[in-house]
Order: sequence, then structure tokens, then C-alpha cells
Amino acid sequence: MSASEKAQKDCKTRAKIIIYLVIILSLTLLAKLYMLQIHSFKKYALMSDKNRIRLSPVLPKRGRIITSDGKIVASSAHKYRLIMDYCSDKVFEKNLNLLGKCLTLSDQEKQRIIRARKSARPHMSFVIKDELSWEEYAGVSMDLFKFSNLSLETAYARNYAMPLEFSHVIGYVGKSDDAVQILTGKTGVEAFLNDQLIGKIGNLQTEVNALAKKVRVTDFVEPENGADIVLTLDSEIQKYVYDVISEERAGACVVLDILEGEIIAMASAPGFDANLVSNKMTYNQWKDVAANQLFPLINRAAVCVYPPGSVFKIVVAFAALSEGVITPWNRIFCSGGVKQDDRVFHCWNRGGHGYLDVCGALSWSCDCFFFEVARRLGVEKIIKYAKKFGFGSKIGIELPNESAGLLPTKSWKFSRHGTSWKPYETMIVGIGQGALLSTLLQAAVMMGKIYTNDYNFAPTMIKGKKKERGLAPIDQKPLEIIKKALRQVCLYGTASRSCNAEYGISGKTGSSQVRKMKTEEAGVNQKKFDWKFRDHAFFVGCAPYNAPRYVVAVLVEHGGGGGAVAAPIARKVFDKLMERQK
Amino acid sequence: MKIINLKSRFFFINEFGILFFIIFSLLVVSFLGQYSAFNGEFDGFVQKHLIRIVAGLIIMLLVYLIGLKIWNNFAYVFYAFTFVSLVVVGLLGSVKLGARRWIDFNFFTFQPSELMKLALILALARYYSLLSPLETRELKNHACPFILTLLPSMLVLKQPDLGTAGILFCVGICMIFLSGFPFKTFGVLIAAGLSLCPFSWFFLYDYQKKRILSFLNPDSDPLGAGYHILQSKIAIGSGHILGRGFLQGTQSKLNFLPEKNTDFIFTTIAEEIGFLGASLIILLFCALTIYFFWVASETRRSFPWLLCHGLGVLLFLHVFVNIAMVTGIIPAVGIPLPFLSYGGSSLITFMISCGLIMSALSRKKQRIGV
Repeated sequence: MSASEKAQKDCKTRAKIIIYLVIILSLTLLAKLYMLQIHSFKKYALMSDKNRIRLSPVLPKRGRIITSDGKIVASSAHKYRLIMDYCSDKVFEKNLNLLGKCLTLSDQEKQRIIRARKSARPHMSFVIKDELSWEEYAGVSMDLFKFSNLSLETAYARNYAMPLEFSHVIGYVGKSDDAVQILTGKTGVEAFLNDQLIGKIGNLQTEVNALAKKVRVTDFVEPENGADIVLTLDSEIQKYVYDVISEERAGACVVLDILEGEIIAMASAPGFDANLVSNKMTYNQWKDVAANQLFPLINRAAVCVYPPGSVFKIVVAFAALSEGVITPWNRIFCSGGVKQDDRVFHCWNRGGHGYLDVCGALSWSCDCFFFEVARRLGVEKIIKYAKKFGFGSKIGIELPNESAGLLPTKSWKFSRHGTSWKPYETMIVGIGQGALLSTLLQAAVMMGKIYTNDYNFAPTMIKGKKKERGLAPIDQKPLEIIKKALRQVCLYGTASRSCNAEYGISGKTGSSQVRKMKTEEAGVNQKKFDWKFRDHAFFVGCAPYNAPRYVVAVLVEHGGGGGAVAAPIARKVFDKLMERQK
Repeated sequence: MKIINLKSRFFFINEFGILFFIIFSLLVVSFLGQYSAFNGEFDGFVQKHLIRIVAGLIIMLLVYLIGLKIWNNFAYVFYAFTFVSLVVVGLLGSVKLGARRWIDFNFFTFQPSELMKLALILALARYYSLLSPLETRELKNHACPFILTLLPSMLVLKQPDLGTAGILFCVGICMIFLSGFPFKTFGVLIAAGLSLCPFSWFFLYDYQKKRILSFLNPDSDPLGAGYHILQSKIAIGSGHILGRGFLQGTQSKLNFLPEKNTDFIFTTIAEEIGFLGASLIILLFCALTIYFFWVASETRRSFPWLLCHGLGVLLFLHVFVNIAMVTGIIPAVGIPLPFLSYGGSSLITFMISCGLIMSALSRKKQRIGV
């Protein structure tokens, strides 16, 4: 083999090396391709989907709330928001200038938009204007084609037809805390029946590009609109009741239809503007509501608790008759005061009522009579009957934060204060004072139980929600006497001045003390005291006498006397109810 | 006689059956790939690409018709001309994407560095064809080719274009090796060169350093320097066996993929046609490279032998570096994929290569020596 041939052969070897290298490197590529596309496919497919798929919620329309007479008191209205996708500074400035022509943007609003853009996450859209008026909407949508990155979004705003009157019953809505920011009930029926009202959130699945700009819709799950709720409340009565009770500084009124087992009005004054609280509220407006000394956000009918006062005497009288510690003919002497534990407990009438039977004691709301009766009964028995009449536990009304009230017992006192129960405390509980606390609604329900002869009576606020509990009849004998006594209250008793109506009202007044009275203040006109030291005025009543149907419970916070302040209000409401019944 | 000669040259279908099959397959893939990369819009860029493909085919035929002899004779002139244009582009060329690579003729722009690849191969083939096999065993005879390789590489590196410079250098070294550079010395020099590699770190540009760092640790900055490769891997990986389907690639359509029609065209295609299609493309390139080598082995003379090998190495280096880059085997370097990437310079370079290969094969058939 010559040197030349040898060299040629050598070159062929080198060429082979190169070919082998090519084959090895090609196989490397194939192997890597295999690793990526088949071995790790799932991992990368997931990453790819994450890259491109954005889920955005589509909000459903919140259900309406309708009163029993067909008035739509809460509804959802479309509102339009102007959204801008993320863009460069230059485009943003250009757009803002263009926008100025079709929208009237104040400098303040422009500043807000610039801030919103700064605080928006990179490549995310932000809100230019939240609630566009119809004119603005029309103007912007005409010119929308001029902008590459503007879009109009539909959302819903909550609209209340009678915002003040129904403020505590319906409550208000706010945006949910999660990212969806759907309108969610915060108080009242809006909160209690939120699950039904809210509907089902839909889903818009869109593909986005690397700049998070939506390219196309890949999937759409339509939202399910919320269900409408029909209240048992009557808008006309509610408005009337609210207007009447609003004449006082603070108070509440509950109207029950005991035949239907429905609440037909529940008002608490002062109310708040639910439209304002639900939607847009400036800081100053919020401050006005929050700092108001009358606490307009609190529901005085079902959430606030008060000592029920003389209204509770109905329970004590019934307990005494049932337990047989007194008979209907038993008379007890009222001298104007009773001495107990080295203290004198006065009757509200310092002069004393003389001898009274149970009817008379209820009619004149004699304290001494009930001091004695309570002493004979003992606190445990009073509490037992109070429980039967619905005190101390929630009625189960369709409100989220209804109060249970408080029934003091010996064990409660010991665990709460660490001291033993004193005999005088039984006496105070006997006139509905002391640690005893109840809501106005509980007092109304007590009346309902009496006039339906049913311990299980519990009203509802929602049509078609009446619970079948079965009857738990109340012992008729003592009940008849109680009913007779309650009629007498309005005929010639404490409420006779205002409640002596031709259709016949039965009821009971109550004035519950909010502080310990000093001796020298006895008999002084309540109006001479500071407002916050005056008694709470109660009245619970039922009418008409022949066919009991309506129960009205009135509370005037620091109103003074129940007969003088609360009963006239109840009379007005009864008159209105009777007029409507005709 | 000359007419008959010309005529016989046109009867290429039989002779070049395999070559044409591969090239046409690749060009069809190229067209469809670009069509998809431009989101299914024919007008504008894809139209331009189609024109380039047709022009490339015409140039291929012209190169073939010119004949290897002329290329052989003008190899040094071609090299000199390209070298000068490289220097000119370094001084006056238009700046695109932060690099001075293009010469702007009014109606089209051209990258002399692309042409340099061919010129270098031609010049080296010409140089070695003049040496006897024994002379190639002497080290001193390799000094000139080394300088011929190094000078344009340095110029391109200054543009800055690390990828092209590396390819020029590698092609040159491969040709020096193939021509008969002493085995042992070559081994030692390669070892020495590799050991010096770490020091080259200090001569790299910042963006090149960043690319290498992000390659070594791709998770360190998924939205920064590692973004391109990560998105490319996601796109390829989500292709699975059969791919998402033509025009259905989400990564490319939604612009998650950068440079989806040029350097990352393979990703765009692999996402849509999956593992089967993508490996078919790799096999096509592999087949084309081996075809080049086969043509070389069919020729008896040293100029076409070296030329074909050089072109084969050039083709395969492009293919390997590009696909290895988009699949994350090596750091990101801007190397186009032959035939498939959008861009005239690269396409025409490889069409010329094919023309040269055709000449080489036909010359072997005609038994006309240099």
C-alpha cells in the first residue's frame, strides 16, 4: 500500500468518525425529544394549560326580595364597568386623553385611574370607572372601537325600593371577601337566605396570550340566577309602622298575623339607607352611620335585648295560676312597697293599689302583687314558664343574628357572678326587671302563643316557610283569666286612655327601668330625666277581641311610660290594620 | 456537444431523486410551519417566504448549472469578496436587534456571515485539493486554513454573533480534521482548547453570560433569561405523540413562544405535530446530512469530497445546535434551522449547498475531473 493510498484510507476513517458523530448526536436529539414529549408530557401539558387558560367568574343575578303585596323591595340592576387591559404608558396616556372626550372625567378621577393602574398587578386589567350612567355607557360603547384595550363589563348593583323601612329586615349586601367579589348578604334576610339569593356563579374560560390579553373563549358555564324570595311582610303596613315609630327617637315595632303565623311588619328606628351601605358609600357617610349614638345599624326588634318589664307579668301571672299559688279570686294587698332583705321595693304607684286580684293586678300592673306572687313561685318556676312562652331562646326567625335574651336562674347567677341568688332577685324577675332580658320579638311571640293557645307558635318572615310543629295547647283555665285581664288593661287599665277601641284591643303595657331609681326621684315625670335614663316603654297587644288576628308589639327606647308612649303607637297600628282588613 | 451536455444535466430527476424528495419534504414543512407560525395568515410574511423558497430553488438550479469547476476556480475570490463584505458590515452594516450583521441593499438585506460559511468551505476545499495526501500530514500546511477559519470567526464574533462564529470555527476545524490533520496532535489541541474554555467566560458579553447561567439553572429566573427555553420546552413537551394539530399550537399562537418563526420554528412545529412528526423532521435532516456524505464518498477527487463533507457538517451543525438549543440541551444561541426558519440568507445558503451537492454528484456521473 502506497503512502497515497494509506492517506486516502485514513481520510475515509475520518469521514466515518464524522458520520458516527452525526448519528450519535441525532440520537441525542431524538432521546431528548422523547423525554420532553412522551416522558414528561403531563408536566408540560399542565404548564401549557396554566400558561394560557384563565378562568373568570361570571356573576349571576341576585334574586329579588318581594313583599307579600307584590312590591319588589330588593332587586338587582345592571351596572356597567369600564375596564382597561394592561398597556404601555404611551398607549395609556393616549387612551386617557381619548376617554376624556366621551366621558367627563374630573382630575380627581383621573388621579384615581392612574393610581388604579399602578396598583394593578402586572399585565392585569383594572377598573376605569365602576358605575357608568346610561349616557356614559352609550357614549363609551359608541367609541369603543377606537380603543384596543378597553372593554365594558356587566356587573350587578343592589337596589332597594324602600331602603329605610326595610333596612333591618332585608339588611344590606357587600362584596364577598374572596377574589370573585360577588354581592353577598351581610345582615338581615340578605344574609340569612344568601345561599338562595346568590345563585350559582358561572365560569368563563378564556385563552390568553403572553400579555394576558384575552384571545378567545374556550368554555362558558352560564351562571344560574338567584331565586326570588317572597316575604310575609306587607310593604304598606311596614311603611306605616316605620313612619309611626320613627316619630320617636329610637324604637321598634313588630306586627304579627297569628292566624297565618306570619310577621307582617318589623320595623326598627332609626333605620339606615340600605342603598347607601350596599353600594357606594363615602367615608363621611359611613362615619355618620357608624358614629350615630342611636346605632341605626342595630335591629331593635330582634337583636337588641331589653328588660321586658311589666309585659313579663303576663308570664308570672300565668305561672302562678297554673301552679296554683294563687287562685283567680285570691286578693293581695298592695301598700305601695314591700320590704325584703332590709330593702324596700316600691310599687310604681307609691300610694299603693290596695287589695287586688290577678286581673286587677295585671290591669294596673301592680308591682307589689307580683313581688308576692314571685316570692311564692320561686325563680325556677317563673323561668320554666318563661321558657314555654319563648323567652330565653331564639324564635327561629329568618334573621342571622337574632338574640336569645337572658333568663336568670340560680345556677346562671352563680356561674356568672359567683354569688348566690338572693330572694329579692326573684321578686325583681317577677316584674320583668333585673337580669332578665328579652327581645321585642319574643314579647310579640308570647302574645301570639297566648292568642293561638299554642306553645309552639312561631312566626315566619318568608312565604311558604311555615314550619309544621304540631300543637302544644296551653292550659285553658288560667289562659282565659289572663286574656280577660289583658282585655281589662285596655278597657280601664294602664292602656285605657289610648287603646279603648271599638274592635277591642287586649294588651299589656310595660315600663322597664334602666337604672336604679333614687328615693327622691319617685313619682317624678320621666320627661324630666335625661333621655338615656328614661324607662323603656313597652306595649304588646292583640286585636280584634272577638277573632284575635293581629299582635302588635311596640318598644320605644327610653320613651317613659308604656301606657303613655307605647300604647298610642300600637293603637295607630291597630287602626291601620283594621282599616286594611276591611 | 455542449448542448447535449446541458441536456443531460437537466435529466436530474432520476439522479437526484432522494435529494429532491428530502428537500421538497423539508420545504413543504417549512411553508406549512411558517404558515402556522404566522397564525394562518398567508398574506405578507408567508407569501414572502414562499417567494424565497421558489427563489431558493431557482438559485439551487443555477448553482448546479454553473458547475463545480467554476466554483473551484473562483473559491478564493468568493472568499475574499465575502471577507471584505464582512469587514464592511462590521463598519457600516445596519443594526438590527442590537447586532451589526446585515448589509442593507435597498430591496433586500443580506448577512455576509451566512455567505461566509459557504465561502470558507469552498476556500478550504480548494486549498486542500491542491495539496497531495502526503503534504496534508505536515502541520505547517494547516496554518493557512486555520487562519482562513479564525479570521472570519473573530469578525463574526465581534458583530456579536456567538452562534455563527462558533459554527464557522467548528466547520473549519472539521474540514482541517477531515483533510488529514495529524490525529494525535489534533487530539491534544482539542483537549487544550477545551481546557481553555472556562477562560473564555471573561470575553463573553453580559447577555451571553446570562444565557449560560440560566441554562445551568433554568429555574432561577423563569420569567427572565430562562423564559425562552422554558416556554419552548413547555411547547414541545405539550405536543405529546401526535401533537396538538396543525394551527392548534397554543404556545406559539398565543405568543408565549419567542421568535416562533425563526430560531424557534422547530418548537412551533413540534408542538403541533408531536413526537412522530418532530422526530421525522430530525430523521430527514439526518438523512440529508448522510446523503451529503454519501455524495462525497461517491466522488473520487478531493475538492468535491471535502466540499460535500464540509457542507454536510455545516448542515448538521445547524440542525443540531438549533434543536439542541430549543429542547434545552445547550444554552440559547441564535442559530436558524436550515430550510425551516424564516429568513432569506439562511435559506439561500442551504439551497446553494444543495446546488453544489448536485453538481458534485453529476460530475461524478460524467466522470469529468478537475
